[in-house]
Amino acid sequence: PRSPQAAEVRVRPVPFNAAFVSRLVPRLRWDALREAAESLGRPSELPPEPSPGYEADEEFLRRLHHVLLEVEVLEGSLQCPDSGRRFPISRGVPNLLLSEDEA
Amino acid sequence: VGCDRSKNLVDICGEKHFQAFVCDALSVPIRSGSCDACISIAVIHHFSTAERRLATIRELARLLRPGGTALIYVWAMEQEYKNQKSKYLKEKNGSKNKEKEMNTGTAQSPLNDQGPDNCSQDSAWSNQLLNDFKDESCGAMPVADFRLPVHTNRTSFHSQDLLVPWHLKGHRKKKKESIDTVVVPGGSKELQELSPVFHRYYHVFSEGELEAVCRSLDCVKVQKSYYDQGNWCVILEKL
Repeated sequence: PRSPQAAEVRVRPVPFNAAFVSRLVPRLRWDALREAAESLGRPSELPPEPSPGYEADEEFLRRLHHVLLEVEVLEGSLQCPDSGRRFPISRGVPNLLLSEDEA
Repeated sequence: VGCDRSKNLVDICGEKHFQAFVCDALSVPIRSGSCDACISIAVIHHFSTAERRLATIRELARLLRPGGTALIYVWAMEQEYKNQKSKYLKEKNGSKNKEKEMNTGTAQSPLNDQGPDNCSQDSAWSNQLLNDFKDESCGAMPVADFRLPVHTNRTSFHSQDLLVPWHLKGHRKKKKESIDTVVVPGGSKELQELSPVFHRYYHVFSEGELEAVCRSLDCVKVQKSYYDQGNWCVILEKL
């Protein structure tokens, strides 16, 4: 599920770890991440694609760090792109349990 | 990122600012092959059939990228191994557990026994009927009228499938503290009403069982298999 919708967002500082953030990049669906950042009302400071040499680009990594780790959806939901089913986020915790008939 | 099926437990993680979500271990909402490593601590022993336990491990393996590793801890039937009693057995009434619990079984069970008054309740056989119980012999056929023993905490296991009592002590106390419950004039009867007991299902693993289940999957390799403080453990590598 993705497409977060947020009723309440919090920004909380998190210590920056360049190596950690850098290693996340290959794991990310970049377009989904940008879309998510936009839908949370965060100005998208992320490029359309991570550019080669991103591992050394501290400014890029810091922006990614901010979006990934420091912006939290406290209340809202995530939506499955296939089924449209919405999963609630409450107190920062997403509940991704399926009901009996959905499983 | 962490996950658990219990919303309340995950909420506690959230309060401590850990990244966690609620989901079922049989259906984890994470893309296949996206994890470098996974740990499953004190989870698989709660699934009631061999089929479901295998499915959980298969699901765990699905999340791993090739070369990724998994660590699994489950409660062991053998709480005394190589003449050493596990911490779970050693800590009797009144002793406080100060160390961080890697003993996954203990992490899930109450630390203090409430004394002789409640012991009879604990050692009674429960009237729980459990369908689909011994599926090794019965396949998908339900087994009628099977009773699960209720375990007496801090003693050895006499059955691989059992219910372990958990005493809920009022609100949000850590399970590990050796606290006295509310002192109520009138004695233990009322005490029992104030602190409800939950019976939690466990399938405790026998030596080699966890390893054998993992070996039946051809997408993973068992790198290491060992015993740790009353738990059977494996380290798997995704092929």
